[in-house]
Amino acid sequence: MSHHDVVVVGTGLAGLTAAVRLAESGARVLVVAKGVGATHLSGGTIDVLGYAPERVERPREALAGLPPEHPYALVGADGIAAAIGWFKERFAAGSLAPYAYSGDVEENVLLPSAIGVARPTAVVPETMAAGDLRRDEPICVVGFRTLKDFHSALLADELGRAGLTARATELELVPEGRRDANSLGLARGLDDPAFRGQVVAQLGSRLRAGERVAFPAVLGIADPHGVWAALEHALGRSVFEVTTLPPSVPGMRVFAVLREALRRAGGTVLLNNVVTGAERSDGRVSALRTRVGLREERRGADWVVLATGGFAAGGIELDSRWTARETALGLPVAGVPGTGEERFRPGYFDDHPIGRAGVAVDRELRPVDAAGERVLENVLVAGATLAGAEPWREKSGDGISLATGYRAAELVLAASRTVVATGRAD
Amino acid sequence: MDVLGPLLMRESLDHCVKCTICETFCPVSNVTPLFPGPKYVGPQAERFRVDGEPSFDSSLDYCSGCGICTQVCPQGVHIAEINTQARAEMKATRGMPLRDRILGRPTLAGRLGTPVAPLANWTLRNRLARLAAERAVGLHRDAPMPRFAGRTFQRWARRHAAPAAARRVAFFHGCGTNYYEPRLGEMTVALLEHNGYRVEIPKQDCCGLPLQSNGLFDDARAYVRRLAKRLAPYAREGVDIVGTSTSCTLMLKREALEILAMGDDADLRAVSGRVFDICEYLLAMHERGELATGFGAIPETVLYHAPCQQQGHGIGKPALDLLALIPELRVVESDATCCGVAGTYGLKREKYDIAMKVGSGLFAQVGESGAREAVCDSETCRWQIERATGVRAVPPVELLHRAAGLP
Amino acid sequence: MAQLQAEVLVIGGGATGAGVAWDAALRGFDVVLVERGDLAEGTSGRFHGLLHSGGRYVVKDPVAAEECVVENAILRRVIPDCIEDTGGLFVTTPDDDPAYGDRFLAGCRATGLPAEEIDVADALRLEPRLNPQIRRAFTVPDASIDAWKTVWSLTRGAAAHGARILTYHRVIDLHRSNGAVTGARLRNELTGEELDVEAGFVLNASGAWAAQILHMAGIEDVGVVPGKGIMIAMNHRLVNTVVNRCTMPADGDILVPIRTVSVIGTTDIRSADPDEIPVTQAEVDQMLDDGERLVPGFREARALRVWAGVRPLFQDAKIAAVTDTRDVSRTHAVVDHRVRDGVDGLLTMSGGKLTTLRLMAQDLVDAMCAQLGSERPCRTAEERPPGNEEPEHYRLGSRLGRREETLQDEQLICECELIGRNRLEEAMRTRGTINLDDIRRVLRLGMGPCQGGFCIYRATGILHSVDRLDGAQAAGSLRMFLQERWKGVWPILYGDQLRQARLDDWIFQGLLDVEHLP
Repeated sequence: MSHHDVVVVGTGLAGLTAAVRLAESGARVLVVAKGVGATHLSGGTIDVLGYAPERVERPREALAGLPPEHPYALVGADGIAAAIGWFKERFAAGSLAPYAYSGDVEENVLLPSAIGVARPTAVVPETMAAGDLRRDEPICVVGFRTLKDFHSALLADELGRAGLTARATELELVPEGRRDANSLGLARGLDDPAFRGQVVAQLGSRLRAGERVAFPAVLGIADPHGVWAALEHALGRSVFEVTTLPPSVPGMRVFAVLREALRRAGGTVLLNNVVTGAERSDGRVSALRTRVGLREERRGADWVVLATGGFAAGGIELDSRWTARETALGLPVAGVPGTGEERFRPGYFDDHPIGRAGVAVDRELRPVDAAGERVLENVLVAGATLAGAEPWREKSGDGISLATGYRAAELVLAASRTVVATGRAD
Repeated sequence: MDVLGPLLMRESLDHCVKCTICETFCPVSNVTPLFPGPKYVGPQAERFRVDGEPSFDSSLDYCSGCGICTQVCPQGVHIAEINTQARAEMKATRGMPLRDRILGRPTLAGRLGTPVAPLANWTLRNRLARLAAERAVGLHRDAPMPRFAGRTFQRWARRHAAPAAARRVAFFHGCGTNYYEPRLGEMTVALLEHNGYRVEIPKQDCCGLPLQSNGLFDDARAYVRRLAKRLAPYAREGVDIVGTSTSCTLMLKREALEILAMGDDADLRAVSGRVFDICEYLLAMHERGELATGFGAIPETVLYHAPCQQQGHGIGKPALDLLALIPELRVVESDATCCGVAGTYGLKREKYDIAMKVGSGLFAQVGESGAREAVCDSETCRWQIERATGVRAVPPVELLHRAAGLP
Repeated sequence: MAQLQAEVLVIGGGATGAGVAWDAALRGFDVVLVERGDLAEGTSGRFHGLLHSGGRYVVKDPVAAEECVVENAILRRVIPDCIEDTGGLFVTTPDDDPAYGDRFLAGCRATGLPAEEIDVADALRLEPRLNPQIRRAFTVPDASIDAWKTVWSLTRGAAAHGARILTYHRVIDLHRSNGAVTGARLRNELTGEELDVEAGFVLNASGAWAAQILHMAGIEDVGVVPGKGIMIAMNHRLVNTVVNRCTMPADGDILVPIRTVSVIGTTDIRSADPDEIPVTQAEVDQMLDDGERLVPGFREARALRVWAGVRPLFQDAKIAAVTDTRDVSRTHAVVDHRVRDGVDGLLTMSGGKLTTLRLMAQDLVDAMCAQLGSERPCRTAEERPPGNEEPEHYRLGSRLGRREETLQDEQLICECELIGRNRLEEAMRTRGTINLDDIRRVLRLGMGPCQGGFCIYRATGILHSVDRLDGAQAAGSLRMFLQERWKGVWPILYGDQLRQARLDDWIFQGLLDVEHLP
């Protein structure tokens, strides 16, 4: 049976953050997961808090107004700020450097969504920063006919309805001969100087003075800094990319940087592994059981960070009899209405009673039961599996994952130091 | 409903939320639009397939069966398995090209070629002969074909006097070792004996993987049954079974059960629980403190590539941990996903170019790393890498054997 | 006020109305068909998808069974492309009386239904997901039928023979004069404009809404009993054959494979208002349990969508009151208002089922001809309406095959249902609609597993780019689609479907931020 200091379950932002932080601090880390996490689906920005429920301008201030059950109450604004600082450093020194992020918990930026909504977010990559809608430069939205996941005319029209000056143009260029390309295909195209040259050539004459140029989020997968800088230089204007449907190229960049950081720090990742349970004694987990195909393995661990993504990937399951179950360790799930009670309301945009269900934790991110009693000493929960938030509505998902993943690592490191110093794990 | 097997694989399509993650990792659809991608031919198209009806989607044939999609799917959809089954159905209704029947039977080629190895090898390298083969059976003229060794590992095994030892292990060497790389078999035996094992080498034949990946399911089942029957007695006695061909061990561990629906074969079930990839086995020994670690230095740079099928085991990269025990060896870990050959896929005329494009990232990394040798657990991948880069490709066992100073 | 003239005014654009319009047009009548919404938006668009062999009725309702036997064969001949020849099975589950199987066989023989008992082992080989505990199995010529395609095909055929098909035209009054109905006042629901139709005869084919129409002619107390039933579409075909429980007709006893899904149904609840048919949790639970009886593991399978339809049952005062709407005969009847109510020029089709739509239309138009003293023979048993030129039945895989042809050239917009860009743009052009919901129904856009998570944004963008929507309309359309889709999803949001919903929430709310559109 293998043994690691920490086994992290989940390869999303929370899991990777915890794993990298721990591995870089010298822990022997194993990450197990069913597959690749939700970074590939994210916007590529770090949303701290967008709506509460009104649009938030200053997240740090708005955090104070969140209910005590909210995951952010576990980390506080300073905790989020620390995690953000760490995240930005990973990129500054990461495999895509000098591709970098900017922003913090003090003030939100307003970036256009693919349908032109001014969407608040806090930490943005350099390839998106010029899209801040608080600036009033007119925008030319560039689309590619071959990319069905982005519609420039619709975006420009909606931006116009919101009072901005925007227009659209569509390029007929076909990267790699694909008439039906996705964002990744176009990003590979733009990584190629020849294709980039064609884009610039077609666009150059169409742009007007003073316009900033919006692309879909396809500004390079291998070298986003290079692509973005080259386009800005060649077009002589500010250039930015707009998040659109998955696959998210900016999200894939986040995965790539964190994954490489983990590899460099000696962490191991096992995909296609499902956690089926754990061996416990005295309120501690001594090993996780994972299954690949028919084979079950035991993975010894001193610590476990559970970052399984909540309902979205089956980290928590709701069955047809409306019973909820945390699928890795069977932890208690809070916030699920009882039998016979409403879980969802008939209006799509209504407040749904089950919306904030998840695993409840104490201030040290340890899972607790309905009475608030700690269930396991050496298991910490991070990310979307946590109860208390509706990230897609508040626009807080990345922030919660990043901050709680980071905090989980900090807590494990602190507790391990205590063990080393005192020989006891308190 | 059977607990394992094709129905379970098909039912897993319910988990698909269309997230596109599999598509971002698919080595084939990312280099050619001829293949619509794993999400498309797997869980999506499967909803349009009716058992027993003629299959409509030929583009499915471009799936290389590398299995990366299943590994990265966050929802647990058995995408590659669905694809493999669908392709077999398609071929069953449309008929099987002669080429695929030949490529599906390496032992046939092995048995025919071994006695006349020099001639066979010459033929395989003769330009005209290859052109003729391409025209006649669709085997690409530049496809990486191995060299017949002219002797079989089985024959060596029959003559080898295994020393008495406290522990026993059974060796499942596979066709590649038997006909093309018997030296690998010898090195593996030497290494295991060095670590206190008596290595038993049962008579054995092909595991049926090439038949399965070419869609000949019934024939594949017959091979699996035969092989499992030979290996089962060891499993039942509590003797582990190790294999040097990472794709063949995966076949016995999982694929024969999931794809060929052989869950009712008691021999296979016994074997499946006790079969290990050689690096997996050696690393487990090391974790128990049982591995002889007196390794001499190998002061060179090598590039390690984990084959898709090795990744399919879901055991990480034990070869890396083992190679880290060799002093002064600098191992560059390739982050390429696939070398392109995918067993017999890259040998085929209509797929060769795609396979070369798929592997191009890896080939470039071999060059860039300055590696003197490439290290890879699968024989077909090694042949592909050698052919494409001219750099020698060795299995991890060879380096361990060398570092242990064994003859 | 605009005026239309017609010989025959057909009220109702479901299967009945479409069948009537086709029949009458073929007989040379000048027809106008009016429908308050889109074609097949009522009962027909919400039905189970079953082309009955008649097996369900052989014991309890032999008249209905015989009709099904005959009409099943006719429809297979005249609208082959609307039908998938799935075949059917009647199976005796552990909860059913095995002896019923003998009554079933006897009933089949008596009604001419070609049923055969087969070995349970063979049935399980045919359908590996069937309950292995079944005791008996019988094959029947059930099939699945695409109601939308059928309605569309019949109305197109009627139009080709000169009929005018007016969707989004609601009947707001019926004109009467000298004891006869002479026409109707319509309101164009899209423009608000009103117009009058002057018609020689009015055929009321409005099904469950018949009473509402008749009320406008001053005819009350018509025994239309809207019988609500819910159905759940499961994400993929758990079976490829229609599976029925071999028992007296009960709830949830049929599982129909139709296109890419399998549909379990149905319940049976008397409804006061055919437009008020909510799905209740109790019904959902019941359907899941019923599904489990036929296919073990049903509750672990993914439920895709749930909806309610309303059967147009007719229970005239002359028939004794019954509480279970299913006990009302499922055969149909022409209600002659001259005899019943002293009103001329008006006939209502009551009861019936989609399988017998052709016969219903024939009976109604025959009755009209009789009253008009005009002898015109029915041709619908021989003529094939448009879209059915080939004698082959629909095959599930054909969309996959068609897509192969355009794989390199055409963008795939709805991936789950394999809808390409050309098809989408064509539908948008020909239907002249800005309503994404109409497109959805026509093409089944966004009705696959992802529930529009990817394709709806794409379709909105395309609709906008072909100038059919401006920004404000696009925004409204998007929000409306989300709400419409939610209706069919939230009662069955568990398991895999909940995972999907979370991803879709992320895409629409998290990434696109739809709720904050101006």
